[in-house]
Amino acid sequence: MENTDAIKNDEVLAAEEKALKRAVLASRIRAVLPIIGLVAVSLIFNILSDGKLLAPMNIKLLMSQVYVTMIAATGVFFIMTMGGLDFSQGSILGIASIVFCFLSKYNIPLAIVGGICAGALIGAINGFFYVKRKVKSFVVTICTMFLFRGVIEFATTNAPVQGDIVKTVSLNNDQLKITITLIVLIIAFFFFRFTKFGRYLKAIGAGEKAAAFSGIETDKMKFWVYVLAGAITGLAAFINVVKVGSVTANSGNQLETQIMIALVLGGMPISGGAKVKFENVVVGSLLYIILNAGLVTLGLTPAMQQLIEGIVFLIVVAITSDRNSVQIVK
Amino acid sequence: MSEIRLQAVDVCKTFGIVKAVQNVSIDFYKGEVHGLIGENGSGKSTLMQMLTGIYTIGSGKFILDGKEIHVRNQVEANNEGISIIVQELGTLSGLTVAENIFLGHEDRFVKFGIKNTNAMVKEANGLLEKYGFGRINAADMIDRYNFEDRKLIEIVKSTYFAPKVVVIDETTTALSQEGREELYKHMNRIREEGNTVIFISHDLPEVLDKCDRVSVLRDGVYIDTVNAKEVTEDDLKKLMVGRELGEHYYREDYGEKISDEVVLSVKNVTVPGVIYDVSFDLHKGEILGFGGLSECGMHEVGKAVFGASYDRKGSVKLADGTEIDSIVKAIKHSIAYASKDRDNESIVINESIGDNICLPSLDELGGKTHLLNDRKLKAFAEKHAKEMTVKMVDTDQFVSELSGGNKQKVVLARWVGKDSDILVLDSPTRGIDVKVKADIYALMDSMRKSGKSIIMISEEIMELIGMCDRIIIMKDGRNSGEELLRSPELTENDLIAKMV
Repeated sequence: MENTDAIKNDEVLAAEEKALKRAVLASRIRAVLPIIGLVAVSLIFNILSDGKLLAPMNIKLLMSQVYVTMIAATGVFFIMTMGGLDFSQGSILGIASIVFCFLSKYNIPLAIVGGICAGALIGAINGFFYVKRKVKSFVVTICTMFLFRGVIEFATTNAPVQGDIVKTVSLNNDQLKITITLIVLIIAFFFFRFTKFGRYLKAIGAGEKAAAFSGIETDKMKFWVYVLAGAITGLAAFINVVKVGSVTANSGNQLETQIMIALVLGGMPISGGAKVKFENVVVGSLLYIILNAGLVTLGLTPAMQQLIEGIVFLIVVAITSDRNSVQIVK
Repeated sequence: MSEIRLQAVDVCKTFGIVKAVQNVSIDFYKGEVHGLIGENGSGKSTLMQMLTGIYTIGSGKFILDGKEIHVRNQVEANNEGISIIVQELGTLSGLTVAENIFLGHEDRFVKFGIKNTNAMVKEANGLLEKYGFGRINAADMIDRYNFEDRKLIEIVKSTYFAPKVVVIDETTTALSQEGREELYKHMNRIREEGNTVIFISHDLPEVLDKCDRVSVLRDGVYIDTVNAKEVTEDDLKKLMVGRELGEHYYREDYGEKISDEVVLSVKNVTVPGVIYDVSFDLHKGEILGFGGLSECGMHEVGKAVFGASYDRKGSVKLADGTEIDSIVKAIKHSIAYASKDRDNESIVINESIGDNICLPSLDELGGKTHLLNDRKLKAFAEKHAKEMTVKMVDTDQFVSELSGGNKQKVVLARWVGKDSDILVLDSPTRGIDVKVKADIYALMDSMRKSGKSIIMISEEIMELIGMCDRIIIMKDGRNSGEELLRSPELTENDLIAKMV
């Protein structure tokens, strides 16, 4: 009797181990899925557009669209790792761009710093209401999105805000943009991957209370990550402005949704936590831009593009979201 | 007598890989008080919770009066004629006494969709009067009454409808002598009415005195059923403890002198609404126990020491005068904490075993450069997980997949890794099976011997007696001033007498 019990026990254990290994394999597949998606989307659209999509000239055009999204996505990546959301990114970009234009008449480095500070300030407002007043992050940032979109529209009521055209447009070269983007990505990757900063963010996303009980100053972290994300988008404002030299009421509009779609397409779990990877930022941004550009080269109307992007977003979220961890977005 | 009322047939229940109840078959007769005993974690509560629909049945069946029953919750159990008085508070705050008594059976008072509150209160007051608890008013909010009164109300709630089987799970430990006498009276009444009482208690003299027959469980396995008249307390103990365990379960030393060196001094600590003016010293190398009823505030003492209480007043100081007022400071100064709420406060549930073990030690692991090296982290996690014999595939496995006992081992592994000198362990063996319990006790003993100090907060009286050098009893949020020293003569009753 004892013996048969022991045998059964081993069988049960072996079955459990098998199930676990299968789960590990599944999560590995899920991890490489975005990269497969990126390659597949590139190839499919390239074939559909008779090679136009990935023609050298078009690649350059594609890249010029990706910088702002990718830089701003880095900050939002940190926020989403903690389990938060940020809908105010587009408005931050707009305000920071206005500040940049205004200050560019005096001095370009001053204008860059000014843009960063403006972004950080809005981030601090988000952080204050989220952390100190304990309002859910998506509620706070939706409020600041509308608030600052209003400010942008007011500032651009009569005419677009003009920067110093000569100075700014002279900076419009791809090398500079690539360098800035790479620097931001490398620094962010380094701190996320090789210092406790990244581990702390993941722990907060995976279980905030337990993270606090492990000695992480969660409130402080949350506040400063919102400030940081604002500052990073403030830097992106520089690249945003040099492209055109002025700011319109639509500047930065819908950047927040672009970033979120990009991150989710890149494999980012919407509730953040332990399964987050930095590659999500890069792969996601590229995937989003190529999907977008692919739809344009196919000659689809903007309305149709939005429709298709919405459907793709929904499908990806539905497939990738982890139904086992019933986590609420903070 | 000897007519069968209820049969448990081959009942099993597993939690993850822990077999809480294995193939248990017991017959319960009409008109008897049937004792059910066993050590903590022996499966007696689990068995009864399956009977009453609190847990689903793993496998096997319960047969009541010859008919198999399938209850899915307590209300359905009541409808079949089975009720339970649970170990913890079984009444709901925020409702009136009457609403609690008739919880799940409000339909009787509903006409045309409207509840007749007056009729309900009137009937409840009648019942309270009949039971001799006339001083309790059924229209009052239940929150107005203390733990003991709420237990009396629960007696009414679970017996007024003359159920065929009443389960009384470890209720007497929370009652004063008067309260116990009331309970015994009603147990007798139920027996005389030809119904069955299943009585769970750790108090063996009480069991022998009040029960007709006694069944013993050990490690989830049915051992034997004996006639109470024919056995002694020692016979029962032998049946309960059985083989290898028992001897080396708790600490064995007695009479060791506690060091005079104070490592932590708590003075006049108040957390509004929870604890008031609590003061005590923790000595080097001692295990200081905290016991009390479930709402006595002892759990908050642990949080207060760890700097995790909200709005704490008073002071918590280390030997060198450092004031501990935040979690960050507590961890920095070598204080560790394992919460009663394991899944939310002790471990980051949606992270890997490795990340959990490394999290509080990242500063040390980063070294001078503050850079983290994956291989070093993994080696650190593996070392401490293996030391604690965590059952796992590897350290990348998520803790959410582990059993309660293994989760607790991960919690301990992280603090062993951090090499903390003061450990605050709140309910360290809650919901953990006997084997892992023994591991945890052994770890605590070896920590104590190596000069670490432990505060152990527990609702399990036996482990307090078995492990602690000193036990402080908390009552209504205050240090009751009663301090019990380690002694082989200390019994459960000594503690209970001071708790209530």
